[in-house]
Order: sequence, then C-alpha cells, then structure tokens
Amino acid sequence: MKAVLQLDNITKYYGRIKALDDVSFEVPEGSVYGILGPNGSGKTTLLGIVTDVLKATAGKYSWFESAPSEEQRKLLGTLLETPNFYHYLSGERNLQIAAAIKERGRDDIPRVLELVRLSARKKSKFSTYSLGMKQRLAIASCLLGDPPVLVFDEPTNGLDPAGIAEIRQLIRQLAGEGKTIVLASHLLDEVEKVCSHVAILQKGKLITAGNVNEVLVNEELVEVAAEDLVQLENVIREMKGVRQVRKNENVLQVFFENGRISLSDMNRYCFEKGIVLNHLTLRKKSLESKFIELTNNVSN
Amino acid sequence: MFRTLGIEWMKIKNYRTFWILLAITIICIPAFNYTVYDLMDNSFPKIRGKSIFGSPFAFPDVWLTVSWNSSLLFIIPAILIITLTTNEFSYRTHRQNIIDGWSRIQFISIKLVEVFILSILMTLIVFLTTLYFGGIANKLPQGVGLLSNTQYLFYFFVQMISYSTIAFLIAVFIRRAGLSMGIFFVYMVLEQFVVSYLRNKYKMNWVDYLPEEVTDRLLPQPYTQKVLNSPAAIETWHHHIPIYLGIAAVYLTVYCSITIWRFTKADL
Repeated sequence: MKAVLQLDNITKYYGRIKALDDVSFEVPEGSVYGILGPNGSGKTTLLGIVTDVLKATAGKYSWFESAPSEEQRKLLGTLLETPNFYHYLSGERNLQIAAAIKERGRDDIPRVLELVRLSARKKSKFSTYSLGMKQRLAIASCLLGDPPVLVFDEPTNGLDPAGIAEIRQLIRQLAGEGKTIVLASHLLDEVEKVCSHVAILQKGKLITAGNVNEVLVNEELVEVAAEDLVQLENVIREMKGVRQVRKNENVLQVFFENGRISLSDMNRYCFEKGIVLNHLTLRKKSLESKFIELTNNVSN
Repeated sequence: MFRTLGIEWMKIKNYRTFWILLAITIICIPAFNYTVYDLMDNSFPKIRGKSIFGSPFAFPDVWLTVSWNSSLLFIIPAILIITLTTNEFSYRTHRQNIIDGWSRIQFISIKLVEVFILSILMTLIVFLTTLYFGGIANKLPQGVGLLSNTQYLFYFFVQMISYSTIAFLIAVFIRRAGLSMGIFFVYMVLEQFVVSYLRNKYKMNWVDYLPEEVTDRLLPQPYTQKVLNSPAAIETWHHHIPIYLGIAAVYLTVYCSITIWRFTKADL
C-alpha cells in the first residue's frame, strides 16, 4: 500500500534534551494512524516536524512519497497543538484566510462551519469563542476543501463529552470516506476506538508501531485458585501455551502465548492432573495496563 | 506576490489597532510639523520681520525641514510594524500559515514587503505635508523649482525603511510586543549616546557609520545648519552622501538577510 507519510530516523534535540530519538515508521494510505504516548513523549514535536514548523536535527520525512514542500501541505488539513487564529477576526474571516492560503475557494466555508456546528457564531470574533468552539473552528479549518489527509493533534482537547463523541464520530466518518488520518493523542481509548494503526512513543523513542489490534491487543488472563497453590502453580507452568504465571494474593494469574484460552480446557487440564479448582475466572487485561507495560519496558 | 499580499490585507483590514496606529501616524506628521512651524513663526525673536532661523518651511528648504521633523516620529511606524509582526507570534498564526501551505520564505518576504509599503506610505505623507507647508510658507522663489531638494524625501525614505527593518528584525527575534518595543527604543537611544560620547570625547569619526547614525546623517538638523556649519563642512557632507547611502544599503541587506535566515532556519 502507498505510504502517505514516511519518517526515516527522525531525531530532534531541544538544546541538550532529546525530544525524538531515531523515529521511523510509515502511515499507509487510507489508515487512521494513532500516535500514542504520554504527555511529553514527542507526539507534537513529531507532527511539528512533518508540518515544517519545527526542524529535525537529523533524519528525513516525505509526504506522498516525495520530498516535502508547501504544495503538499496544502493537501493536508492540520490541527497542531492549539487552534491558531487571529483573535480580532470572526470565525468566518479566519477561515477565509486559511482557504486563501490553501488556495481553495470560499464556497466550502459554510459546509465546514455547519459540520462543526458553528454557523450561528460565524460572525463572532474568535476571541469570544469558548475553548470547545475554538477547537471546533480549528477542525473546520482542517476540513476546508475536503483534503485527502488530515493531521489532528489532540483533537478532542477542550471538548465536552458530547463534543468528544461528535469528533470521534466525524473522524470515523472521514476514515469511512477513505481519508488518511494521523491522530496524536495521549488518550488510549481514543486511539483504540478510532484508529486502525498505532505508533507508541515514550520519551521520544518509538516503542512499537503497527496495526492497532496487534499492538494494543486486549489480552485475556485467567485467574485460578485451589487448596494447594504451590502444586497448582507447578502443574500450570507445565501446561502447553502458558506464557507467564503470577501469584496475586490467593489466586494465580495465568497469561497465554496467543492471548486466548478456553476456561473449560483449563478446568479439564487441572482436573486430569488431580487438582480441583475452587476459583476460575476469565479477566481482560486493561489497555491501560498494556500501555503501561509497553512504556515501562522502555523506561526500564 | 499580489495574492500573498491580498491575504495580508485580509489580516489587517479588519484590525482596529492597525487603523488607529496608521491614523496616528497620518495625523502626527502634519500635526508635529505644524507645531514646529508655529513655534518658528511666533516664539523666536525676528530681525526686520524675519525669523532668526531663516525660512526653513519655505521652498526649497522645506523638503529637508519636514523630512527631518517627520523622522523624529520614527517610533510610530516602528510600533505598527512590531505590533503586526508580534501578533503573528502571540496568536501562533505564523505557524498556522506555514501549516496551511505557505513556505517560510513566503511568510517572511511578504512581511518585508509590508515594511517597504509602510515606508513608502510614510514618505507619501511627508511629501504631501511638505507641499502643504511649502505652499503656506511662501510663494515659490524665482528660479527655484517645486521639486528642487526632493532628494531629502528620498533620504527620509531610506531612514524610515532602515528604522522599520531594525524594528522588524527585533520583533522576529524577540516575538513579544512590549519587549520588542522596549529593546528597539533603548537601542535607538543607546546608539545616539554612544555616537555623541565617542565622537565628542575621543574624536572617533567612524561612529558616523553605525547603523542608526549613518541614516541620520542623511538628514542634517535643518534649523541651525547654515549658521553653525561652514560652507566647507556642508560641501564635505554633500560628498559623503553616496557613502552614507551605500553603507545604509549594506546594513539594510544585512538586516533583511538575518531576519530571513532566522525565520527560515529556527523552530517556529
């Protein structure tokens, strides 16, 4: 599949601080690509570099498989960090400036204002907008001219729950239309809910990147207990497919290599080994713990 | 370029502060000149009905007089330029313009064009003010063309674009309006102090070629120059004009190059 964005060994220093460390990945066409990481992990720096507001210390990137240029940026709809508009101008006039720079007509302005429910306030000065309205205007600006690629940095910042749901729905709808979306977020569930691919950053390093279902697999674990926990642990460790056994108070937590197990198979196996279980539960490992596990591995 | 300029126009045409500052500039130039004119006319002793300073507001001297007076108001266009430039940084719209599809060079170049246009506008106001005061001061003397001595208008333009470009350079580096204005003003005062101190105390004449002084020397103080300066000194000054202009051009190129370099290479 064609790569819309390709990063090759991007490194960025702020003075002596290494904000990005040799980051490489590519965003396939038509994907919703999440860039996930805690605050300060380098997500915004990365997007700043690919939109030419920051200069990489080393490495290179390309859009649409060719060298970056301002003409390519006109094909992107980008919201980077905060909504940046002229405070003394109305929402509509701000969009007129954005449309002129993107070399797109003004005809699309009513549509995008309607999409983000700002038509009624289009004549109001930007400085009078609430945080959520500012964010929505920034999203409207991104959508001007129906660009094939959208780059959103924390797009749900400052929005109320209904606004968050709307924007997520909009992102899904845009993805359904075949647009490529790059989405930076520190919110795991946001990435899980809307992204097809994910890259995880921690302290400027790329920990992992790939299909969201592979990287953020919602791993299952089985909790078991019996009269003799020591014997139970020894027996379970010999069971085929068991990756890890952890003692947690009066139960054992069992992790499997493929991440899936049938409870009846487990019960049968123990019974055949002469152990009667008095506790058997299937639990899902939370995405948060998966994320913490991934990021901790790097910090350690 | 006209397309980009059109977008700049969209940014400022509904910006009230811009119009207020521009109006102040437009009003201040004739108003300040009128104050000086009135002072000359009424506040100094006259010999046989004529001012001891001669007729600085009469043609052809009026071109130097109004240009020099107006150059004292350099701070007003500088405030305008600093405000327009630092607005982009404080609203972070300089980043958004790049993100939306301008190149960095496009952004910074059009701002330099604005500085140029503003200097032209200032010069035009000085031109009209000069015609007005020249007109009310006296009838055109026999043998003196209306446009005789208009070179001073050009020198005013050179001085204005030089000051404005320094203001722009400071704004691009500092990014904050108040601090930029403070640094600009302190620099202007400081250079004047350094120039007069080194020249008077140590007879160092090279200070004439410092950035601010070299353009100041294009417009000598008009009221006492004929009294205090010998004809030979005035002749020497005339000979130095091409040197002052040449050095001013070099400085201007350096200011523009540093500003462009800064904006195209730094993180925004």
